[in-house]
Amino acid sequence: MSASTLNTTSNLWKQVRKTVANWTTVRRIMSVLLFLLAWTILVQFTGQFHQIPTPAAVFAALFQLKLGVIFTEIFRSFLRVLCGFLLGLLIGFPIGVAIGYSRIANYLLFPAVEMVRPIPPIAWIPLTVLFFINIESQIVFLTFYGAFFPIVYNTMGGISEVDIRLPRAAMSFGINRMGMLWKIILPAAMPQIFTGMKVAIGITWLMVVAAEMIASKGGLGYWVWYHHTVMEYPMVILGMGIIGLCGALCSVGIDVIGSHFMKWRNIF
Amino acid sequence: MVDSNHKGEVVFENVTRAVQTKKTETIILDHCSFVIESGKLTVLIGPSGCGKTTIINLIAGYEKPDRGKVLIDGKPVAGPDRERLVVFQETALFPWLTCYDNVMFGPLATKVMTREEAHEQTVNLLEKVGLRDFLYKYPMQLSGGMMRRAELARALINRPTVMLMDEPFRGLDAMTRELMQEYYLRLVEESHGTHLFVTSEIEEAIFLADRLIIMTNKPSRVKHTLDIDLPRPRIASVLRSKRYIELKSLTLEILHEEAVKASRASGKADIAIESGLRT
Repeated sequence: MSASTLNTTSNLWKQVRKTVANWTTVRRIMSVLLFLLAWTILVQFTGQFHQIPTPAAVFAALFQLKLGVIFTEIFRSFLRVLCGFLLGLLIGFPIGVAIGYSRIANYLLFPAVEMVRPIPPIAWIPLTVLFFINIESQIVFLTFYGAFFPIVYNTMGGISEVDIRLPRAAMSFGINRMGMLWKIILPAAMPQIFTGMKVAIGITWLMVVAAEMIASKGGLGYWVWYHHTVMEYPMVILGMGIIGLCGALCSVGIDVIGSHFMKWRNIF
Repeated sequence: MVDSNHKGEVVFENVTRAVQTKKTETIILDHCSFVIESGKLTVLIGPSGCGKTTIINLIAGYEKPDRGKVLIDGKPVAGPDRERLVVFQETALFPWLTCYDNVMFGPLATKVMTREEAHEQTVNLLEKVGLRDFLYKYPMQLSGGMMRRAELARALINRPTVMLMDEPFRGLDAMTRELMQEYYLRLVEESHGTHLFVTSEIEEAIFLADRLIIMTNKPSRVKHTLDIDLPRPRIASVLRSKRYIELKSLTLEILHEEAVKASRASGKADIAIESGLRT
Protein backbone atom coordinates (compact mmCIF):
# COMPACT_ATOMS: atom_id res chain seq x y z
CA MET A 1 0.00 0.00 0.00
CA SER A 2 1.45 3.37 -0.97
CA ALA A 3 1.74 6.21 1.48
CA SER A 4 -0.81 8.37 -0.31
CA THR A 5 -3.71 5.89 -0.11
CA LEU A 6 -2.94 5.36 3.51
CA ASN A 7 -3.12 9.08 3.93
CA THR A 8 -6.52 9.43 2.26
CA THR A 9 -8.01 6.60 4.28
CA SER A 10 -6.85 8.16 7.48
CA ASN A 11 -8.21 11.52 6.30
CA LEU A 12 -11.56 9.92 5.54
CA TRP A 13 -11.59 8.33 8.97
CA LYS A 14 -10.78 11.71 10.50
CA GLN A 15 -13.67 13.26 8.59
CA VAL A 16 -16.03 10.54 9.82
CA ARG A 17 -14.77 10.94 13.35
CA LYS A 18 -15.35 14.66 13.16
CA THR A 19 -18.88 14.61 11.74
CA VAL A 20 -20.59 11.34 12.69
CA ALA A 21 -18.74 9.03 15.02
CA ASN A 22 -17.93 11.55 17.72
CA TRP A 23 -18.91 11.77 21.36
CA THR A 24 -21.74 14.20 20.66
CA THR A 25 -23.51 11.63 18.50
CA VAL A 26 -22.90 8.89 21.03
CA ARG A 27 -24.40 10.99 23.79
CA ARG A 28 -27.42 11.82 21.68
CA ILE A 29 -28.09 8.16 20.95
CA MET A 30 -27.60 7.40 24.63
CA SER A 31 -30.28 9.95 25.50
CA VAL A 32 -32.84 7.97 23.48
CA LEU A 33 -31.64 4.59 24.79
CA LEU A 34 -31.76 5.82 28.38
CA PHE A 35 -35.33 6.99 27.88
CA LEU A 36 -36.38 3.57 26.55
CA LEU A 37 -34.50 1.88 29.37
CA ALA A 38 -36.20 4.02 32.01
CA TRP A 39 -39.55 3.22 30.43
CA THR A 40 -38.85 -0.53 30.46
CA ILE A 41 -37.63 -0.49 34.05
CA LEU A 42 -40.64 1.49 35.26
CA VAL A 43 -43.04 -0.95 33.58
CA GLN A 44 -41.23 -4.16 34.55
CA PHE A 45 -40.28 -3.44 38.11
CA THR A 46 -43.04 -1.31 39.56
CA GLY A 47 -46.54 -2.46 40.39
CA GLN A 48 -47.93 0.93 39.52
CA PHE A 49 -47.32 0.79 35.78
CA HIS A 50 -47.37 -2.92 35.04
CA GLN A 51 -50.32 -2.66 32.62
CA ILE A 52 -48.45 -0.30 30.33
CA PRO A 53 -46.83 -1.99 27.34
CA THR A 54 -43.04 -2.03 27.16
CA PRO A 55 -41.16 -0.43 24.26
CA ALA A 56 -40.66 -3.93 22.88
CA ALA A 57 -44.41 -4.58 22.87
CA VAL A 58 -45.02 -1.28 21.07
CA PHE A 59 -42.36 -2.18 18.54
CA ALA A 60 -44.01 -5.55 17.97
CA ALA A 61 -47.37 -3.82 17.42
CA LEU A 62 -45.78 -1.96 14.53
CA PHE A 63 -45.90 -5.18 12.48
CA GLN A 64 -49.60 -5.74 13.14
CA LEU A 65 -50.45 -2.31 11.80
CA LYS A 66 -52.81 -2.34 8.81
CA LEU A 67 -51.11 0.17 6.53
CA GLY A 68 -54.23 0.94 4.51
CA VAL A 69 -56.18 1.86 7.62
CA ILE A 70 -53.49 3.87 9.34
CA PHE A 71 -52.67 5.92 6.24
CA THR A 72 -56.35 6.73 5.73
CA GLU A 73 -56.50 8.02 9.31
CA ILE A 74 -53.27 9.98 8.89
CA PHE A 75 -54.63 11.50 5.71
CA ARG A 76 -57.90 12.48 7.38
CA SER A 77 -56.18 14.20 10.29
CA PHE A 78 -53.68 15.91 8.02
CA LEU A 79 -56.46 17.28 5.86
CA ARG A 80 -58.27 18.69 8.90
CA VAL A 81 -55.09 20.22 10.26
CA LEU A 82 -54.27 21.76 6.91
CA CYS A 83 -57.78 23.19 6.43
CA GLY A 84 -57.86 24.61 9.95
CA PHE A 85 -54.36 26.02 9.71
CA LEU A 86 -54.89 27.64 6.32
CA LEU A 87 -58.17 29.16 7.47
CA GLY A 88 -56.39 30.45 10.56
CA LEU A 89 -53.68 31.98 8.40
CA LEU A 90 -56.15 33.40 5.89
CA ILE A 91 -58.24 35.11 8.57
CA GLY A 92 -55.70 35.57 11.38
CA PHE A 93 -52.85 37.05 9.37
CA PRO A 94 -54.78 40.05 7.95
CA ILE A 95 -56.29 40.73 11.36
CA GLY A 96 -52.83 40.60 12.96
CA VAL A 97 -51.47 42.97 10.33
CA ALA A 98 -54.39 45.36 10.82
CA ILE A 99 -54.02 45.42 14.60
CA GLY A 100 -50.25 45.85 14.37
CA TYR A 101 -50.20 48.43 11.61
CA SER A 102 -53.27 50.61 12.13
CA ARG A 103 -54.06 52.34 15.36
CA ILE A 104 -57.79 52.47 14.60
CA ALA A 105 -57.92 48.75 13.85
CA ASN A 106 -56.01 48.19 17.07
CA TYR A 107 -58.61 50.02 19.16
CA LEU A 108 -61.48 48.32 17.33
CA LEU A 109 -60.21 44.74 17.36
CA PHE A 110 -57.63 44.27 20.07
CA PRO A 111 -59.89 44.47 23.16
CA ALA A 112 -62.22 41.83 21.72
CA VAL A 113 -59.29 39.59 20.80
CA GLU A 114 -57.81 40.07 24.23
CA MET A 115 -61.13 39.15 25.85
CA VAL A 116 -61.59 35.86 24.02
CA ARG A 117 -57.95 34.73 23.86
CA PRO A 118 -57.54 33.46 27.44
CA ILE A 119 -60.29 30.88 26.93
CA PRO A 120 -58.53 27.57 26.17
CA PRO A 121 -59.58 26.38 22.69
CA ILE A 122 -60.75 23.02 24.07
CA ALA A 123 -63.37 24.82 26.18
CA TRP A 124 -65.10 25.70 22.91
CA ILE A 125 -65.94 22.10 22.07
CA PRO A 126 -69.52 22.08 23.47
CA LEU A 127 -70.40 25.33 21.76
CA THR A 128 -69.25 24.26 18.29
CA VAL A 129 -72.23 21.94 18.13
CA LEU A 130 -74.39 25.05 17.95
CA PHE A 131 -72.24 26.64 15.21
CA PHE A 132 -72.23 23.73 12.78
CA ILE A 133 -74.43 20.69 12.27
CA ASN A 134 -71.86 18.97 10.09
CA ILE A 135 -69.31 17.17 12.26
CA GLU A 136 -66.50 17.70 9.78
CA SER A 137 -67.09 21.46 9.97
CA GLN A 138 -67.05 21.29 13.76
CA ILE A 139 -63.63 19.62 13.75
CA VAL A 140 -62.20 22.04 11.19
CA PHE A 141 -63.60 24.97 13.14
CA LEU A 142 -61.84 23.80 16.30
CA THR A 143 -58.52 23.35 14.52
CA PHE A 144 -58.95 26.75 12.90
CA TYR A 145 -59.64 28.25 16.28
CA GLY A 146 -56.46 26.73 17.70
CA ALA A 147 -54.38 28.28 14.93
CA PHE A 148 -56.08 31.66 14.92
CA PHE A 149 -54.77 33.35 18.05
CA PRO A 150 -51.10 32.41 17.84
CA ILE A 151 -51.07 33.75 14.29
CA VAL A 152 -52.89 36.97 15.17
CA TYR A 153 -50.75 37.54 18.22
CA ASN A 154 -47.37 36.91 16.70
CA THR A 155 -48.13 38.84 13.53
CA MET A 156 -49.29 41.78 15.58
CA GLY A 157 -46.32 41.52 17.95
CA GLY A 158 -43.81 41.14 15.14
CA ILE A 159 -45.11 44.30 13.51
CA SER A 160 -45.20 46.39 16.65
CA GLU A 161 -41.66 45.39 17.57
CA VAL A 162 -40.04 46.43 14.29
CA ASP A 163 -36.99 48.59 15.00
CA ILE A 164 -38.24 52.16 14.55
CA ARG A 165 -35.13 53.14 12.58
CA LEU A 166 -36.05 50.85 9.68
CA PRO A 167 -39.41 52.49 8.81
CA ARG A 168 -37.87 55.87 9.54
CA ALA A 169 -35.07 55.25 7.07
CA ALA A 170 -37.59 54.01 4.48
CA MET A 171 -39.75 57.09 5.09
CA SER A 172 -36.80 59.32 4.34
CA PHE A 173 -36.20 57.44 1.10
CA GLY A 174 -39.74 58.47 0.13
CA ILE A 175 -41.59 55.18 0.31
CA ASN A 176 -45.41 55.25 0.28
CA ARG A 177 -47.70 53.61 2.82
CA MET A 178 -48.28 50.42 0.84
CA GLY A 179 -44.59 50.06 0.09
CA MET A 180 -43.86 50.57 3.75
CA LEU A 181 -46.08 47.62 4.65
CA TRP A 182 -44.89 45.22 1.94
CA LYS A 183 -41.23 46.15 1.70
CA ILE A 184 -40.36 47.10 5.26
CA ILE A 185 -42.85 46.11 7.94
CA LEU A 186 -43.71 42.61 6.77
CA PRO A 187 -40.13 41.51 5.95
CA ALA A 188 -38.98 42.89 9.30
CA ALA A 189 -41.79 41.09 11.15
CA MET A 190 -41.35 37.87 9.16
CA PRO A 191 -39.34 35.92 11.76
CA GLN A 192 -41.98 36.37 14.41
CA ILE A 193 -44.82 35.70 11.97
CA PHE A 194 -43.24 32.31 11.27
CA THR A 195 -42.78 31.69 14.99
CA GLY A 196 -46.52 32.25 15.30
CA MET A 197 -47.22 29.80 12.51
CA LYS A 198 -45.09 27.18 14.21
CA VAL A 199 -46.92 27.58 17.50
CA ALA A 200 -50.20 27.55 15.59
CA ILE A 201 -49.59 24.27 13.80
CA GLY A 202 -48.70 22.64 17.13
CA ILE A 203 -51.99 23.74 18.66
CA THR A 204 -53.81 22.67 15.51
CA TRP A 205 -52.67 19.08 16.10
CA LEU A 206 -53.71 19.33 19.73
CA MET A 207 -57.17 20.45 18.68
CA VAL A 208 -57.63 17.92 15.92
CA VAL A 209 -56.77 15.00 18.23
CA ALA A 210 -59.10 16.25 20.96
CA ALA A 211 -61.94 16.84 18.50
CA GLU A 212 -61.49 13.47 16.81
CA MET A 213 -61.51 11.63 20.14
CA ILE A 214 -64.92 13.10 20.87
CA ALA A 215 -66.42 13.14 17.39
CA SER A 216 -65.89 9.49 16.33
CA LYS A 217 -65.47 10.48 12.72
CA GLY A 218 -62.15 8.88 11.97
CA GLY A 219 -58.71 10.42 12.14
CA LEU A 220 -55.72 9.62 14.33
CA GLY A 221 -57.38 10.86 17.50
CA TYR A 222 -60.30 8.56 16.91
CA TRP A 223 -57.96 5.69 16.06
CA VAL A 224 -56.12 6.07 19.37
CA TRP A 225 -59.38 6.36 21.28
CA TYR A 226 -60.82 3.28 19.56
CA HIS A 227 -57.82 1.16 20.59
CA HIS A 228 -58.21 2.46 24.09
CA THR A 229 -61.80 1.23 24.20
CA VAL A 230 -60.74 -2.25 23.05
CA MET A 231 -57.76 -2.17 25.45
CA GLU A 232 -55.07 -2.54 22.80
CA TYR A 233 -52.59 -0.31 24.51
CA PRO A 234 -49.54 -1.02 22.33
CA MET A 235 -51.58 0.39 19.47
CA VAL A 236 -52.55 3.41 21.58
CA ILE A 237 -48.91 4.23 22.20
CA LEU A 238 -48.07 3.63 18.56
CA GLY A 239 -50.84 6.03 17.60
CA MET A 240 -49.50 8.62 20.01
CA GLY A 241 -46.09 8.24 18.38
CA ILE A 242 -47.56 8.70 14.93
CA ILE A 243 -49.40 11.83 16.04
CA GLY A 244 -46.15 13.21 17.44
CA LEU A 245 -44.34 12.41 14.22
CA CYS A 246 -47.02 14.16 12.16
CA GLY A 247 -46.77 17.24 14.38
CA ALA A 248 -42.99 17.29 14.07
CA LEU A 249 -43.27 16.91 10.30
CA CYS A 250 -45.58 19.93 10.08
CA SER A 251 -43.24 21.97 12.27
CA VAL A 252 -40.30 21.10 10.03
CA GLY A 253 -42.43 21.98 7.02
CA ILE A 254 -43.03 25.47 8.39
CA ASP A 255 -39.30 25.85 9.05
CA VAL A 256 -38.49 24.87 5.46
CA ILE A 257 -40.99 27.36 4.05
CA GLY A 258 -39.70 29.99 6.48
CA SER A 259 -36.07 29.56 5.53
CA HIS A 260 -37.10 29.91 1.90
CA PHE A 261 -38.69 33.28 2.65
CA MET A 262 -35.91 34.42 4.96
CA LYS A 263 -32.73 33.49 3.14
CA TRP A 264 -30.98 36.34 4.93
CA ARG A 265 -31.37 34.57 8.25
CA ASN A 266 -29.66 31.30 7.40
CA ILE A 267 -26.60 32.47 5.60
CA PHE A 268 -24.01 31.03 7.91
CA MET B 1 -29.64 68.09 -10.20
CA VAL B 2 -30.34 71.35 -8.43
CA ASP B 3 -27.28 73.37 -7.55
CA SER B 4 -26.68 71.73 -4.23
CA ASN B 5 -23.69 73.90 -3.32
CA HIS B 6 -25.88 76.70 -2.12
CA LYS B 7 -28.67 74.70 -0.58
CA GLY B 8 -29.17 72.89 2.63
CA GLU B 9 -28.87 75.68 5.19
CA VAL B 10 -30.45 74.54 8.45
CA VAL B 11 -31.67 77.10 10.96
CA PHE B 12 -32.88 76.38 14.49
CA GLU B 13 -34.97 79.27 15.81
CA ASN B 14 -35.68 79.13 19.56
CA VAL B 15 -36.45 75.43 19.38
CA THR B 16 -37.83 73.81 22.50
CA ARG B 17 -38.45 70.11 22.67
CA ALA B 18 -39.64 68.18 25.70
CA VAL B 19 -40.44 64.55 26.20
CA GLN B 20 -43.40 63.57 28.34
CA THR B 21 -43.29 60.40 30.30
CA LYS B 22 -46.19 59.36 32.52
CA LYS B 23 -45.57 61.86 35.29
CA THR B 24 -42.56 63.97 34.44
CA GLU B 25 -41.62 66.19 31.57
CA THR B 26 -37.99 66.34 30.53
CA ILE B 27 -36.90 69.38 28.58
CA ILE B 28 -34.31 68.26 26.07
CA LEU B 29 -33.82 71.40 24.03
CA ASP B 30 -34.45 74.80 25.59
CA HIS B 31 -34.80 77.78 23.26
CA CYS B 32 -32.02 76.42 21.16
CA SER B 33 -30.86 78.55 18.21
CA PHE B 34 -28.08 77.93 15.73
CA VAL B 35 -27.31 77.82 12.03
CA ILE B 36 -25.81 74.97 10.06
CA GLU B 37 -24.20 76.58 7.06
CA SER B 38 -24.78 75.09 3.64
CA GLY B 39 -22.00 73.17 1.95
CA LYS B 40 -20.06 72.72 5.15
CA LEU B 41 -19.36 69.90 7.51
CA THR B 42 -20.67 70.95 10.90
CA VAL B 43 -19.90 68.78 13.88
CA LEU B 44 -22.15 68.85 16.91
CA ILE B 45 -20.44 67.84 20.10
CA GLY B 46 -21.69 67.66 23.65
CA PRO B 47 -21.96 65.42 26.67
CA SER B 48 -23.88 62.22 26.10
CA GLY B 49 -27.61 62.52 26.60
CA CYS B 50 -27.64 66.22 25.73
CA GLY B 51 -30.19 65.87 22.97
CA LYS B 52 -27.97 65.46 19.95
CA THR B 53 -30.11 62.69 18.53
CA THR B 54 -33.18 64.86 19.10
CA ILE B 55 -31.60 67.56 16.93
CA ILE B 56 -31.02 64.97 14.19
CA ASN B 57 -34.61 63.72 14.48
CA LEU B 58 -35.96 67.27 14.26
CA ILE B 59 -34.01 68.02 11.09
CA ALA B 60 -34.88 64.65 9.55
CA GLY B 61 -38.55 65.30 10.32
CA TYR B 62 -39.06 62.30 12.62
CA GLU B 63 -39.95 64.61 15.49
CA LYS B 64 -41.58 68.03 15.64
CA PRO B 65 -40.46 70.94 17.84
CA ASP B 66 -42.80 71.89 20.68
CA ARG B 67 -41.92 75.54 20.25
CA GLY B 68 -39.80 77.43 17.75
CA LYS B 69 -38.92 76.53 14.17
CA VAL B 70 -36.57 74.29 12.27
CA LEU B 71 -36.00 75.79 8.83
CA ILE B 72 -34.34 74.26 5.79
CA ASP B 73 -33.48 76.96 3.25
CA GLY B 74 -36.09 79.17 4.88
CA LYS B 75 -38.89 76.57 4.84
CA PRO B 76 -40.06 74.74 7.97
CA VAL B 77 -39.49 70.99 8.08
CA ALA B 78 -42.74 69.21 7.22
CA GLY B 79 -41.71 65.57 7.62
CA PRO B 80 -39.15 63.02 6.48
CA ASP B 81 -37.75 63.68 3.03
CA ARG B 82 -35.04 62.26 0.83
CA GLU B 83 -33.36 65.66 0.90
CA ARG B 84 -32.41 64.98 4.53
CA LEU B 85 -31.02 61.53 5.18
CA VAL B 86 -29.75 60.02 8.40
CA VAL B 87 -26.97 57.54 9.02
CA PHE B 88 -27.98 56.11 12.37
CA GLN B 89 -26.09 55.03 15.46
CA GLU B 90 -25.42 51.37 14.87
CA THR B 91 -26.77 49.98 11.67
CA ALA B 92 -30.20 50.55 10.22
CA LEU B 93 -29.58 48.61 7.01
CA PHE B 94 -32.51 46.42 6.03
CA PRO B 95 -31.30 42.98 7.12
CA TRP B 96 -33.39 41.11 4.53
CA LEU B 97 -31.79 42.93 1.60
CA THR B 98 -28.29 42.47 0.25
CA CYS B 99 -25.81 45.29 0.40
CA TYR B 100 -26.62 46.04 -3.26
CA ASP B 101 -30.39 46.03 -2.74
CA ASN B 102 -30.05 48.23 0.32
CA VAL B 103 -28.31 50.92 -1.72
CA MET B 104 -30.78 50.47 -4.61
CA PHE B 105 -33.71 50.94 -2.21
CA GLY B 106 -33.80 54.76 -2.23
CA PRO B 107 -33.61 55.30 -5.99
CA LEU B 108 -36.20 52.58 -6.66
CA ALA B 109 -38.62 53.75 -3.95
CA THR B 110 -39.14 57.07 -5.69
CA LYS B 111 -38.15 56.08 -9.23
CA VAL B 112 -35.99 59.19 -9.68
CA MET B 113 -33.57 57.14 -11.75
CA THR B 114 -34.00 54.22 -14.10
CA ARG B 115 -32.92 50.83 -12.80
CA GLU B 116 -29.83 50.95 -15.05
CA GLU B 117 -28.73 54.33 -13.72
CA ALA B 118 -29.33 53.24 -10.18
CA HIS B 119 -27.40 50.01 -10.77
CA GLU B 120 -24.42 51.86 -12.19
CA GLN B 121 -24.30 54.36 -9.34
CA THR B 122 -24.79 51.68 -6.70
CA VAL B 123 -21.89 49.64 -7.97
CA ASN B 124 -19.79 52.79 -8.24
CA LEU B 125 -20.53 53.96 -4.74
CA LEU B 126 -20.00 50.56 -3.16
CA GLU B 127 -16.71 50.33 -4.98
CA LYS B 128 -15.74 53.73 -3.60
CA VAL B 129 -16.40 52.61 -0.03
CA GLY B 130 -14.48 49.38 -0.61
CA LEU B 131 -17.40 46.98 -0.79
CA ARG B 132 -17.09 45.90 -4.42
CA ASP B 133 -16.65 42.26 -3.39
CA PHE B 134 -19.57 42.35 -0.96
CA LEU B 135 -22.37 43.51 -3.26
CA TYR B 136 -24.54 40.46 -2.72
CA LYS B 137 -23.81 39.84 0.94
CA TYR B 138 -26.47 40.41 3.57
CA PRO B 139 -25.79 42.97 6.34
CA MET B 140 -25.35 40.19 8.92
CA GLN B 141 -22.42 38.90 6.88
CA LEU B 142 -20.57 42.21 7.06
CA SER B 143 -18.37 43.57 9.82
CA GLY B 144 -19.40 46.66 11.78
CA GLY B 145 -17.23 48.97 9.69
CA MET B 146 -18.52 47.51 6.43
CA MET B 147 -22.12 47.98 7.53
CA ARG B 148 -21.45 51.63 8.29
CA ARG B 149 -19.86 52.10 4.88
CA ALA B 150 -22.78 50.39 3.14
CA GLU B 151 -25.08 52.70 5.03
CA LEU B 152 -23.13 55.73 3.92
CA ALA B 153 -23.46 54.58 0.32
CA ARG B 154 -27.18 53.94 0.80
CA ALA B 155 -27.69 57.54 1.88
CA LEU B 156 -25.28 59.21 -0.54
CA ILE B 157 -26.81 57.66 -3.67
CA ASN B 158 -29.87 59.86 -3.06
CA ARG B 159 -27.71 63.01 -3.15
CA PRO B 160 -29.34 64.52 -0.08
CA THR B 161 -28.86 68.25 0.40
CA VAL B 162 -28.37 67.62 4.10
CA MET B 163 -26.61 64.52 5.42
CA LEU B 164 -27.24 63.78 9.06
CA MET B 165 -24.72 61.56 10.80
CA ASP B 166 -25.86 60.39 14.23
CA GLU B 167 -22.69 59.12 15.93
CA PRO B 168 -22.23 56.79 12.97
CA PHE B 169 -18.85 55.42 14.02
CA ARG B 170 -19.73 54.71 17.61
CA GLY B 171 -18.90 51.22 18.76
CA LEU B 172 -16.24 50.64 16.12
CA ASP B 173 -12.73 49.78 17.22
CA ALA B 174 -10.10 52.51 17.01
CA MET B 175 -8.48 51.30 13.78
CA THR B 176 -11.75 50.86 11.92
CA ARG B 177 -12.95 54.17 13.19
CA GLU B 178 -9.93 56.00 11.82
CA LEU B 179 -10.40 54.29 8.48
CA MET B 180 -14.08 55.20 8.43
CA GLN B 181 -13.28 58.84 9.14
CA GLU B 182 -10.96 58.90 6.15
CA TYR B 183 -13.54 57.23 3.86
CA TYR B 184 -16.11 59.68 5.06
CA LEU B 185 -13.92 62.75 4.58
CA ARG B 186 -13.06 61.69 1.05
CA LEU B 187 -16.78 61.37 0.22
CA VAL B 188 -17.65 64.68 1.86
CA GLU B 189 -14.87 66.60 0.20
CA GLU B 190 -16.14 65.29 -3.16
CA SER B 191 -19.83 65.90 -2.56
CA HIS B 192 -19.87 69.51 -1.28
CA GLY B 193 -23.21 68.90 0.42
CA THR B 194 -24.24 70.11 3.85
CA HIS B 195 -23.26 67.66 6.53
CA LEU B 196 -24.17 67.54 10.18
CA PHE B 197 -22.09 65.08 12.14
CA VAL B 198 -22.95 64.31 15.75
CA THR B 199 -20.34 62.84 18.04
CA SER B 200 -19.11 62.82 21.60
CA GLU B 201 -15.45 62.28 20.64
CA ILE B 202 -13.32 65.40 20.58
CA GLU B 203 -10.58 64.07 18.30
CA GLU B 204 -13.12 62.91 15.75
CA ALA B 205 -14.99 66.21 15.95
CA ILE B 206 -11.98 68.40 15.26
CA PHE B 207 -10.52 66.10 12.64
CA LEU B 208 -13.71 66.18 10.57
CA ALA B 209 -15.24 69.61 11.12
CA ASP B 210 -15.38 72.85 9.23
CA ARG B 211 -17.38 74.22 12.09
CA LEU B 212 -17.79 72.89 15.57
CA ILE B 213 -20.93 73.47 17.65
CA ILE B 214 -20.49 72.70 21.33
CA MET B 215 -23.68 71.96 23.25
CA THR B 216 -24.44 72.45 26.91
CA ASN B 217 -25.84 69.73 29.11
CA LYS B 218 -29.58 69.10 29.24
CA PRO B 219 -31.62 71.23 28.67
CA SER B 220 -29.40 71.86 25.69
CA ARG B 221 -28.37 75.06 24.09
CA VAL B 222 -25.41 76.07 22.02
CA LYS B 223 -22.49 76.78 24.29
CA HIS B 224 -19.96 77.83 21.74
CA THR B 225 -19.16 77.61 18.04
CA LEU B 226 -15.65 77.24 16.69
CA ASP B 227 -14.40 77.52 13.12
CA ILE B 228 -11.92 74.74 12.48
CA ASP B 229 -9.43 76.25 10.06
CA LEU B 230 -7.35 73.15 9.48
CA PRO B 231 -6.43 72.68 5.80
CA ARG B 232 -8.39 70.45 3.43
CA PRO B 233 -8.14 67.78 2.18
CA ARG B 234 -7.65 66.54 5.73
CA ILE B 235 -5.19 63.77 6.24
CA ALA B 236 -4.17 61.98 9.39
CA SER B 237 -0.99 64.07 9.74
CA VAL B 238 -3.22 67.03 10.69
CA LEU B 239 -3.57 65.30 14.05
CA ARG B 240 0.03 66.22 14.88
CA SER B 241 -0.13 69.86 13.77
CA LYS B 242 0.23 72.67 16.27
CA ARG B 243 -3.09 74.25 15.28
CA TYR B 244 -4.92 70.94 15.90
CA ILE B 245 -3.51 70.72 19.39
CA GLU B 246 -4.51 74.32 20.12
CA LEU B 247 -8.05 73.71 18.90
CA LYS B 248 -8.30 70.53 20.91
CA SER B 249 -7.22 72.11 24.17
CA LEU B 250 -9.61 75.00 23.57
CA THR B 251 -12.49 72.59 23.02
CA LEU B 252 -11.51 70.54 26.03
CA GLU B 253 -11.53 73.64 28.18
CA ILE B 254 -15.02 74.59 27.09
CA LEU B 255 -16.33 71.05 27.53
CA HIS B 256 -14.63 70.66 30.90
CA GLU B 257 -16.29 73.77 32.22
CA GLU B 258 -19.61 72.34 31.09
CA ALA B 259 -18.90 68.96 32.64
CA VAL B 260 -18.05 70.50 36.01
CA LYS B 261 -21.23 72.54 35.94
CA ALA B 262 -23.21 69.46 35.01
CA SER B 263 -21.80 67.30 37.78
CA ARG B 264 -22.36 70.04 40.34
CA ALA B 265 -25.97 70.48 39.26
CA SER B 266 -26.73 66.78 39.16
CA GLY B 267 -25.94 65.59 42.64
CA LYS B 268 -29.51 64.43 42.75
CA ALA B 269 -29.26 62.85 39.34
CA ASP B 270 -26.36 60.67 40.45
CA ILE B 271 -28.47 59.19 43.19
CA ALA B 272 -31.30 58.68 40.75
CA ILE B 273 -28.99 56.86 38.36
CA GLU B 274 -27.68 54.64 41.12
CA SER B 275 -31.10 53.64 42.32
CA GLY B 276 -32.10 53.11 38.72
CA LEU B 277 -29.24 50.65 38.33
CA ARG B 278 -30.27 48.75 41.37
CA THR B 279 -33.82 48.05 40.19
